Amino acid sequence: MSTDRDKRLREESAGLMEYSAENLVPFGPIHPSLKEPEYFKIILEGERIVNVIPRIGYVHRGLEKAAETRPWVQNMYMFERTCGICSFVHSLCYGQAVEGLTIFQVPKRAEYIRLIICEMERIHSHLLWVGLMGHWTGFETLFMWVWQDREVVLDLVEAISGNRIHKSMNAFCGVRRDMPEGMEKHIVELMKFLTDRARYYRQIIDTEETILERTQKVGAHINQDTVEKLCAVGPMARYVGLRHDVRLNNPYAAYGEVPFEIVTRKEGDVQALLRLRLDEIIVSANMISYAVENLPDGPIKVKIPPVIPAGEHSSCCEAPRGEIFYYVKSTGGRTPDRVKSRQPTLANLPLALEILKGQTLADVPVVLTAIDPCFGCMDRMSFLDTEENKQWSWSGEQLRQYGINYYFPDKKGKGKA
Amino acid sequence: MSEILLERVGKFAAEAKAKIVPLRKGETVIEVDQANVRNFISHLVQDLSVRHLTTITGLDLGENIGIMYNFSQERETIHVRTTVPKASTAVSIVDIIPGAILYEMEVHDMFGTSFEGNPWNDRKLLLPDNWPSDLPPPLLKSSKPAEIRRRLNLEAPTKE
Repeated sequence: MSTDRDKRLREESAGLMEYSAENLVPFGPIHPSLKEPEYFKIILEGERIVNVIPRIGYVHRGLEKAAETRPWVQNMYMFERTCGICSFVHSLCYGQAVEGLTIFQVPKRAEYIRLIICEMERIHSHLLWVGLMGHWTGFETLFMWVWQDREVVLDLVEAISGNRIHKSMNAFCGVRRDMPEGMEKHIVELMKFLTDRARYYRQIIDTEETILERTQKVGAHINQDTVEKLCAVGPMARYVGLRHDVRLNNPYAAYGEVPFEIVTRKEGDVQALLRLRLDEIIVSANMISYAVENLPDGPIKVKIPPVIPAGEHSSCCEAPRGEIFYYVKSTGGRTPDRVKSRQPTLANLPLALEILKGQTLADVPVVLTAIDPCFGCMDRMSFLDTEENKQWSWSGEQLRQYGINYYFPDKKGKGKA
Repeated sequence: MSEILLERVGKFAAEAKAKIVPLRKGETVIEVDQANVRNFISHLVQDLSVRHLTTITGLDLGENIGIMYNFSQERETIHVRTTVPKASTAVSIVDIIPGAILYEMEVHDMFGTSFEGNPWNDRKLLLPDNWPSDLPPPLLKSSKPAEIRRRLNLEAPTKE
C-alpha cells in the first residue's frame, strides 16, 4: 500500500473521524479488462451503510465529441460500440433519431427484423444477469447453467447477423441483412426451449435457499414514489409496479404490432428483479416467435442521401437495462452538430445508491449487480477503519466470499469461482 | 403533443413567459427564461404530473450554453430549454427532481456550467481529477481533442 494513497484516504475520511463510528470504504474503481468501472465511496456505521458517493467516467471515451467530427453513417456503428451487451439497441435509437429528420420511411420487414434482434439481445442480456446474480450470491451452479443456455441465443444471433455481439445489423431506414431463409421453424423451437428453461430457473429462484436468503427483502425499503422521483428506468422501475416501458408507452420498430404483456412486480426487493427478468425472457421469446411467423415480405432497406436535413430530433428505446435516449441536432451538413446519448445505468445509479443506504456491506455486490450495470469491477478495493486507524484491501473475490460467509457462516458457499 | 396537455402547459407557459415550439407530432420544445425555469418545471412535475426526467442535454449555442431538460410522458416528449451565458451558473432542480443530480453534474463537467443548489456541485463525475482548470470543457466547440491529449499527457507513443 503506497503511503500517498494512505494519506489520501485519511484526508478523505478526516471529517468522519470526529463521528468515530463511521467508516469510509472506497469501492472500485477498475479492473482494466472489464468494461464499466465505477468507484464508490461507501460510508459505514458499523456494518450498516450510511451513504454512498459515486465517481464514474473511468472509461469515458468522448463518443459525443467524436460524433461531431464523423459522418452520420459512421456514427451509427460507433454508437453501437457504447455497450458490449446491448449493442444493437444503441444503433437503433441513434438511427431512429436521424431517420426522424429525413422524409424516408422504414420498410415493414426491417422493423420486424429490428424487433427480433432487440428481443434476442434482451434475452441474452437478462440471462447473463441471472448468471451473475448466481455468481455473486454464491450459487455457482446457476451461473454455469444459465450461461450455457445463453449460448443458444448467441448462436442464433450469429446465424442471423454474422456476429455474436457487435452485429452491425442496423442501417438508416432499414437493416443490412435479411433473415436467413428456412430458419423460422428452428427459431420457434429454440424459443420454446428457452421458455422452458426460464420457467425452470423461475422455479429454482422461488425455492432455492441460497438465492432466497441473499435476495429476499434486500432493498425492500424502496417504494414507488422514491423510484419515480429518482427517475429510474426499465426493470428498476417495473419491480415496484410502475408501468414504465418504452415499448409499451411509445412503441417504436414493430412493437406497436406484436402483442406482448408488460411484466411488473410489487415487492420491490432484489428477488422481485430476478422474477421480473426471468418472466421478461418468456415474454421476449413469445414476441420473437410471433414476429418470425408473421414476418412481412418486402424490401429491407431504403437508400438515403449522406446529408441529413437541418433540425433536431430525439428518440427513446427500451434497452434490456431500461430506457435509452438519443438527441440529434443537424445543421444540414455531413456530420451532426450535436449528439447526446443517455444510457440506463446513469439513470438507475441514484436509485442504487438509495437502495444501498441501510443495507450491510455484504449486500453491496448483490445490490450493485441488481441494477444490471454491466458491472464487474469489484476487483480492487481498500478498506479504512477510522476507529482503529487500520487499512486493508480486498479483491472482488474476497468481498464475494465475505458476503457468502456473512449469510451462511457454516457453509463456504456453493461452488468456487 | 396531445391537445389536452398542450392546453394545460400553455396556461403555465403564458405565466412563465415561455415560448412553445412544436417540433413534430409528440415532440415539443418549450423555451423558458433562466429566471422562470424552476417555477415552470415544478408546475410541470406537480400540477401536470410529467414526472419522468429522461436526461439533461447541454448544447453549445455559441455565446450561450443551452440546457435542455428532456421530459417524457407516455407518447409525449417535452424539451424544456433554457440558456445561460458561458462559464456562468444555472439554477439546480435537484430539490424538485432528485433524479437530476447526476445529469446536472454531467452538464457541469462537459460544458462548465455549474448548478447552484446541487449538493455535489464541487465534485467531478466524468472528467479526470487532474483536468486543468484553464482548459475549456470538452464538449464546447472551442475544445480541441489534440489540445486535451497534449495537456493531459495522453499523446499516443510514437513508433520508433
